[in-house]
Amino acid sequence: MIKAEPKTILYFIYQHFDLLKELFTAQSKNNSIDYNFLNNEIEKYGKEIEKQLFEYHILKIINDEYQITDIYYNLFEFILQQFKPLLPEEIEKYVQSISQLFFKIKEDIIKDKNILIDRIDSLTNEIDKFLSQVKNNTASLLIKSKELKANIESIDYQEKIHKASFWIEYYIIPLNKIIDVQNSESIYNLLLKISEYTNDKRMNYNDENIRLKFERLYNRLKHTLVDVRLQSEILVNELIPLIERIKTENSILKGMHIYLSKGYWHHIKDKPQCKIFKKQRDSIISKDFALTTKEYFEQFQQEEDIFINEDKHQFNDWIFDKVKYKERILESLPIDDFFEWSINEIKSDYKGFNTSNYFTIVSLLFEKDLNIEYQQKYKNIIIENDNTELKIPVLKITKNEN
Amino acid sequence: MKINYPEHHYEIVKTLLDGKFILFPGKLYKIISEQENKEFYIDFFKESFGYELKVETEYIYLISDNTDEKTSRDIMIFISILAFEIDKEGKNFIEELNNSLFNLERINQYFENSHSWNDIIKENKQISSRESRKSLIYNTMLKRNLIEKIGESFQFTKAHKVFLDFALELIEKEKNE
Repeated sequence: MIKAEPKTILYFIYQHFDLLKELFTAQSKNNSIDYNFLNNEIEKYGKEIEKQLFEYHILKIINDEYQITDIYYNLFEFILQQFKPLLPEEIEKYVQSISQLFFKIKEDIIKDKNILIDRIDSLTNEIDKFLSQVKNNTASLLIKSKELKANIESIDYQEKIHKASFWIEYYIIPLNKIIDVQNSESIYNLLLKISEYTNDKRMNYNDENIRLKFERLYNRLKHTLVDVRLQSEILVNELIPLIERIKTENSILKGMHIYLSKGYWHHIKDKPQCKIFKKQRDSIISKDFALTTKEYFEQFQQEEDIFINEDKHQFNDWIFDKVKYKERILESLPIDDFFEWSINEIKSDYKGFNTSNYFTIVSLLFEKDLNIEYQQKYKNIIIENDNTELKIPVLKITKNEN
Repeated sequence: MKINYPEHHYEIVKTLLDGKFILFPGKLYKIISEQENKEFYIDFFKESFGYELKVETEYIYLISDNTDEKTSRDIMIFISILAFEIDKEGKNFIEELNNSLFNLERINQYFENSHSWNDIIKENKQISSRESRKSLIYNTMLKRNLIEKIGESFQFTKAHKVFLDFALELIEKEKNE
């Protein structure tokens, strides 16, 4: 029994709404309010309010668990528009009661008028409750899904996917099944049947009072059918795609999760990798080719002064005359195989062709008016005079027109 | 026989053989994507080098059987962990990778606070430290045109989608196994 005046209670709620909202949020998350949390909250807002919370039956204690009593909880749910989604099973009970009441009305239509009126009123109330629950549920599922998409709780990817799957499997799809306009077994089609029946009775029943009751029910059904259709559309067009989007957007993350968690990054030789081009070191047109080739050949290149002949020296009577060979190479263009051309040219001047001669003449390759094309093949050559085996790229030389 | 090469042929071939992505709407992209040139370059790379030229709506790149697996692995790990951390922040990682400006500080915060992938971060030398991440971003990824430097910050180019597409491919692969 509450002794306090209703206005006093309402004023208390008004004054301490911030506290009550925090208690409501705590209970919404955990179904009850933790003792320590409650004590901290009470201390924060003033110890004197503890007595009133229990005196006004706002809080109750059951087996050491603190809870907001149902009537206040429902009030806060409604005021805050934060409805806890109902399980489809909880909504389905209205389908059962509506269905049974309709069956009873039809069966006993000509029996006692009072029970018929009670049943029509009861059916009207059940339809109202049903619609209210469906609307609240759709709204709360939409909020939950949007929060999930925005990841308000900063949860990990896997948990997010788990939650999205959970909402869709246990709440959204079953709820859609209940109200689906397209499903002949759905409540929508049951309500249609009731509506047809009621339409007939509101015009043809022999008792005016009952005709008015049917009229009231019929009008209620008209709105309900529109609302159910709307809720079904929200589910199909908004909620299900939203949840699916969470899952689809995350399919990339799913693939990334597979990559990171299933060892793709660890066993790169055995597991597929994203194909990105591997720069070929020996590509004639690669950025570093000119530099690296130059470096390579320069280590063999001899300075001109080593060709200074001394009297006693068994000198090499081939001296690299760059101007002469440049003229010759220009005359011979295009050259399919630079090595072959080099050996023939040098041999025509000097029979003792050796490795050093070859690397010397290679410096012609760096002339700007020559264009070098790598033929994608190598050949092994043996220079007999100094018994050297070289692996040499086959280079085609053409005139550089630029 | 005199072959008439498309304009900027040398630059196109050099860029692609350097492992770079050619991006829309650049001049090279425009040249290659013209139908006639597109066919030419697809054949050119196939016949000359045995490489496959991929011409996507926002970028063009070369692939070969011999791919740069280690670099690919490092970038894939980098982008994946980044995506997870952005998602955890409640942001749409696809939009962020597409449009957002990043700087090293932001990247370091993500990687230093990533508890879920801490082991992988520690193990991979290309992303384990601030310096290595900087090098991965401003050397490896910048050179390949995967990012664009804007002042002290950088932005992913559309070429990063290669790695997102690869993630989708992995799901298909897992389904088929």
